[in-house]
Amino acid sequence: MKHALLLILLSTPLLTASYKVEDIKFPPGVPPEVGGIDFAPDGTLFAVLRRGDVMRARPATDPTNWKWELFATGFHNGCGIDAVSHDKVRVTQMADFTEATDTNNDGIADQYRIFAAGWGLSGNYHETNAIAEDGKGGYYIAIGTASHNGPTAEHTLGEYSKFGRRGRNFASVKWRGCTLYCDPNGKLSPFCFGFRMHNGIHQDSAGNLWCGDNQGDWRATTPLYHLEKGNFYGHPSALVWDERWPEDKDPLHTYREDLEAYNKHRTWPSVQIPHREMNRSAGEPFEIPKNFPHFPGQMLLPDNNSKRITRIMLEKVNGKFQGACTHFLDGGGLRSGNHRIRFSSDQQKLYVGQTVRGWGKEAEGLQRITPNGKEPFDITAFNITPRGFKITFNRELERDLAEKDLKFKSFTYQSKWTYGSPQENTTNNKVQSVKHLSAKTVEVKLDRFKPGRVYQLDLKELKSKDGDEIQNRLFYYTANQLP
Amino acid sequence: MRALSLTLFGITLASADPLTFNTTPLGQKDRPIILRTYVPDPGLDPAVLSNHGEASKSPKYSPNSGRDVGGEYRMMKVIPAAIAVNHGPALSYVWDTTECRLLYSWQGGFLDLYPYWGEENRGGRRSFDYSARLVGNLFYMAQPIKREKPAFIGYDLSDQGVPTFHYKLGDTKYAETILPNDRQYSFVINQDSKKSTIKGKLISKHQGFDRNLKIKSATAKAGQQVFGAYGCVACHSADGSKGHGPSLKNLAGSTRPIEGNDPVLADAAYLTESIKNPNAKTAQGYPPGYMPPYQLKDKEIESLVLYIQSLAK
Repeated sequence: MKHALLLILLSTPLLTASYKVEDIKFPPGVPPEVGGIDFAPDGTLFAVLRRGDVMRARPATDPTNWKWELFATGFHNGCGIDAVSHDKVRVTQMADFTEATDTNNDGIADQYRIFAAGWGLSGNYHETNAIAEDGKGGYYIAIGTASHNGPTAEHTLGEYSKFGRRGRNFASVKWRGCTLYCDPNGKLSPFCFGFRMHNGIHQDSAGNLWCGDNQGDWRATTPLYHLEKGNFYGHPSALVWDERWPEDKDPLHTYREDLEAYNKHRTWPSVQIPHREMNRSAGEPFEIPKNFPHFPGQMLLPDNNSKRITRIMLEKVNGKFQGACTHFLDGGGLRSGNHRIRFSSDQQKLYVGQTVRGWGKEAEGLQRITPNGKEPFDITAFNITPRGFKITFNRELERDLAEKDLKFKSFTYQSKWTYGSPQENTTNNKVQSVKHLSAKTVEVKLDRFKPGRVYQLDLKELKSKDGDEIQNRLFYYTANQLP
Repeated sequence: MRALSLTLFGITLASADPLTFNTTPLGQKDRPIILRTYVPDPGLDPAVLSNHGEASKSPKYSPNSGRDVGGEYRMMKVIPAAIAVNHGPALSYVWDTTECRLLYSWQGGFLDLYPYWGEENRGGRRSFDYSARLVGNLFYMAQPIKREKPAFIGYDLSDQGVPTFHYKLGDTKYAETILPNDRQYSFVINQDSKKSTIKGKLISKHQGFDRNLKIKSATAKAGQQVFGAYGCVACHSADGSKGHGPSLKNLAGSTRPIEGNDPVLADAAYLTESIKNPNAKTAQGYPPGYMPPYQLKDKEIESLVLYIQSLAK
């Protein structure tokens, strides 16, 4: 514990000095509960607020002086928005995907049309939905589950399933806990299954689809999932909406009693992100664009329940993604509630939409993050080898690393019915050798190195050749496979 | 308060006003507001909701043991995918996107979102009881009809923000606009340019969510709390500015012109009567039947009267 505290004290000021975090103000009196944000092609930023209003503004340099306009109203807890143009948005609200258009150019949407509908709504407060654009006019839609901390209505939107209703987070109505594909005409079809609350979904520049989820039942810790058609991602309730699952079988009960069958059926997270240490509740993953000055091409994952954003370094091993995580930002004026990310069109600024209203302590708003100067000294690539890891720093090291500078341990997670699961089967992995491949890259060989484990690296204090302290000293690599 | 002018605060709003933390938003007679939220089912005939799914009670479950623990989760009486529209005290109604029809209407107020939206600084939702509450007098509920399953298309807003709903039955498209008229328990419905006036009668009275304020002794300060908690400010300003109802500033002790009657002195008795039975006397220049009667506790009413009197000093 002392060690952890010391780590935080040492690392926080460094993390934060690298970024300017500004609070973008909405008009006073407007609840800044940001369900979703998106830039229109002309650079206008649209924000859908959870009580129902869609606001738009041209980003201004002064964060307190944005000229917000009310563009549309009347959405129920909209948590996904596509700003199609300056005059048209599409919003996933609780019940449907609605397009709002300003047809007479007076600045206010006057035409509201169902763009896509067909998923159910039980009447539970938790059933929000998020979108990712597929780049070809279609979308992927993350359909959230209900929570046992609230009821269903007597009369539901869409078909009701009593097996889907079972459990802590549940999928009592159609396609809850699924990811849908929505074609450019608004036709919906199930894409993959088994989510608890994938609050945010993102397609990267290579066309890979990603989502996080919230640690909880059937979620040992915060996951990052690579989404592929037809797969089951581990939260059983949604299986009632998978045609391949037998109609008379209760998925919750089935897998409660047979974790072995459960582990075979499910697709594991590409990255398992320790809940307490890194990310308590994943928002929307988002790839850092190539012109952003820091860590381009890596993945960000906002934490909806802490003042931090996780940075993820991915690689493909035997054809499947896995990788490492650390902090991108931890504190430094960042609010909690982080769940939506967009980069400015010049890719130099990062906007974070925040809300938790109705869940935890209020953390609502919109913030803008601007890098201060050059990329902070840090690990910039974390690759697995048959015997350990190849670790690349973004600057030359002040000195050669010795075995004692890197401390590794590893553990496993078993997702099950409980709300989160502990780190189990913890093993210290002694560093057998450290070999410098260059002034920036070391290869580490570890004792008892096996797949199917999460490896934790604690770095000793370390300086770059040009005198900067390393930004992060805690990393986790999810070794689903060895190369 | 929907009509709150936000330009006062230095940040410019180029267009209409957005929602605020006020949990009892109110539109205007000629400029309605539209809310999508979980609206209450005030006791509709279940056959009216025949295109909905039917939920059932479910065994209570422990996430710790992964087992049922005895008892059942009860369900809530809400409509999941409806649209609520408010024309100020003149008319509120709920139009459902699943049944594609008007479900019910009321007058005198709109919705109290307090159980769902919570307070500004806490945002607490009432866990199994977060349905928005009606404010006002319910006077119309839809009856079952036999027709094929409808499909919702969307709605258009007039320049004044009045919605026209579009839906399909089979291949035939329909359009429907609902408007207030000046009569109590009545409204106008335009279906594909066929205009009809609907007259209802009082079904039930609603005053929003019971805030359960624990007032030990009546004070003006407690009255200000009551004034805030029940959203009175949606109609009655405390600073003299115009609203749906008379401002409370300098009201106490003044002589009030009354519609169709002699003026009265706004003493404690008059103020108390105006809260308990607001339609006994209608202030001149305001329509009758707008304010729903508030069944407040005696200490709450006494406090409100003290608060109103404090605004006249």
